[in-house]
Amino acid sequence: MNKKILIVEDDVHISKIIKMNLNLMNYATTEAYDGLAAFEMLKREKFDLILLDVMIPHLDGFELMERIKSYGTPVIFLTAKNSVYDKVNGLKLGADDYMVKPFEAIELLARIETVLRRYGHEDRVVEFQHVQVDLDKREVVIQEAPVELTPKEYELLVVLLKNKNIALTREQFLDKVWGGDYYGETRTVDMHIKSLRKKLGLQDQIKTIYKIGYRLED
Amino acid sequence: MKFWQKIYLFSILVFVIIFNIASILVIERSHNKMLGQAINVALSQNISIHSSVDAIVPILRIYDSIDYEKTVLTRIANEFVDKNSEQGVYMDITDDSQRTVFNNSDFPMPAARSELDNLDEDSIHSILREIDARTILFTSNITDINHKKYVFTYMKDVTSVYQDRIDQYSFFAKVDLAACLLFMVIMFFVSRGLTRSIDRLNRTAKVIAQGDFSERVTLKSRDEIGILGSNFNEMAEVVEDKINELERNNEEKQRFINNFTHELKTPLTSIIGYANFLRTTKYNEELFVDGLNVIYSEGKRLESLSLKLMDLILLQKEQIQMELQDLGEIITEIKPALEIMAKEKNAAIALDCEKGELPLERDLIKVLIFNLVDNALKASSPEQTITLRAYWQGGNYILAVIDQGIGIGQEDQDKIFEPFFMADKSRTRRSNGAGLGLAICQNVAGIHGAVIRVNSVVQQGTTVEVVFGSNPVAESELRP
Repeated sequence: MNKKILIVEDDVHISKIIKMNLNLMNYATTEAYDGLAAFEMLKREKFDLILLDVMIPHLDGFELMERIKSYGTPVIFLTAKNSVYDKVNGLKLGADDYMVKPFEAIELLARIETVLRRYGHEDRVVEFQHVQVDLDKREVVIQEAPVELTPKEYELLVVLLKNKNIALTREQFLDKVWGGDYYGETRTVDMHIKSLRKKLGLQDQIKTIYKIGYRLED
Repeated sequence: MKFWQKIYLFSILVFVIIFNIASILVIERSHNKMLGQAINVALSQNISIHSSVDAIVPILRIYDSIDYEKTVLTRIANEFVDKNSEQGVYMDITDDSQRTVFNNSDFPMPAARSELDNLDEDSIHSILREIDARTILFTSNITDINHKKYVFTYMKDVTSVYQDRIDQYSFFAKVDLAACLLFMVIMFFVSRGLTRSIDRLNRTAKVIAQGDFSERVTLKSRDEIGILGSNFNEMAEVVEDKINELERNNEEKQRFINNFTHELKTPLTSIIGYANFLRTTKYNEELFVDGLNVIYSEGKRLESLSLKLMDLILLQKEQIQMELQDLGEIITEIKPALEIMAKEKNAAIALDCEKGELPLERDLIKVLIFNLVDNALKASSPEQTITLRAYWQGGNYILAVIDQGIGIGQEDQDKIFEPFFMADKSRTRRSNGAGLGLAICQNVAGIHGAVIRVNSVVQQGTTVEVVFGSNPVAESELRP
């Protein structure tokens, strides 16, 4: 079942771009443009996560946070403010994470995933067409036959799956799979992608995007 | 040493010295007076003996017998001594061969008697002597009887006068001790009492120094310390006001920065978000056009924000040159530009301007008019008219921008001058507003000594008046 995420953001454009990105990852989204509307929605419906802008009309993010504390829904704050006071205030109120605008989509998706995992809302078995990945056992299965992957290949596959339909640059892959302090060549990424395509039969699905990098498309 | 201790010690010291000196002077003076009296009495007694002897000298002359003389003299002396027996009075009479004719003293006569030197008939010499712990006053004179010189010495015991002095001193010592103790006790409370207000002032100063600027001292006295206290309070008042003002300024600045970051980051988030979405996801024509539209409009919004900021920076210019110019003429000059603005919205601009020579900064006034017209246009619907009227009224020159638009709600009317305030956020955003327009206008008006008043009825329109005047009207009166 798709996870339901409530986007509380007064700027229509920002709300929409967040929604578009989340939809790519098969999250179900609902939009609220002010605090009171969000509060009403939360009273009626249960969400797996709330993305909450701080500066919203009628009821600001902090106030809304106070009111919905008892619901136990995880919250990620979105804000333009970069002050330590606001961060501390947000986290003290029980927010699970904090994102300062402007933010990158993949960063937001990663934080959402982390928070969902912490709450045990994350699917531990991910399916992509004929490929099944068990995140707990670190196992990749195609038609009930396990596939042997090197650790880096496995992690690269997970990154592709988690950013489905979004192109990532080779640098982003290096950063996410090999770690920020790895100064390898981007060719390493190409080698692993090539090997993944072959082992999993995903030649068409893992697309090379000109001047950017790779994208997993369904 | 503490101030009250200084007062205390110093006053005690001064008191002890002055009290003792004064008392000693009084005792000594009264002693000297008593002694003088005693001496005078002795001298007059001496004279009276002398005169009684003189009285019988003619009789003695008749007899001219030494024995008779001695007998008579002894009798006179005895009579005299008897009469004054309790008063410690003694007589000694010696003849010219130094033999004692009469002596009733109960002490040994001193061997050397300096008062007898150079003694003649007309004078009486007196001297005080300490004999056997007694003080004896000697007064001597010479009486000539039948060509023989008799020395009459009249002696008086004046020990009691000295004893009195000792008694007085011992009494004084007791009084001195009691007075000093009493003074010390009283002075202790007095000096503490006098310095208590200083202590209080001190404590208050300390509390203020620790950051509690609302602390005040309460002194009821009307003396110098009381005045110091009220001056101190005045000072604290000024400091507190200043600090509150600084805090308010700071908060205002912080709010400005917060709003500014918000206004800057919101379009940036959209631009970056859409651009990234378009370049990293599969092409979809509808999303592509939508995304580019957002990027374009948010880019325009950033542009307008940066232009507004330039205007604000312009206002920070240190020196603004004012020149006497006709405001009506400036409006006429920029009319074409205003009409282009209005055309986008399909609205019309109407002018009705009297000639008004005022000290103005041309560029700033243009910024003011553009902003006011821009606001009016944002509030207006197509086919509506924006009217610019400029006219004299009671010594004031008034520039009015009148629209027939949506108006401003009563609850928002006092907030519209705040930077980044937008009465209708989504509508303002759509027209690339940043909420800085009126804040800029108010700054410009302030520089020209003008005030802005707003009169608005929802759904009927807004009239914004900029009142230039030689006699500025209080702001509170003007702002509804």
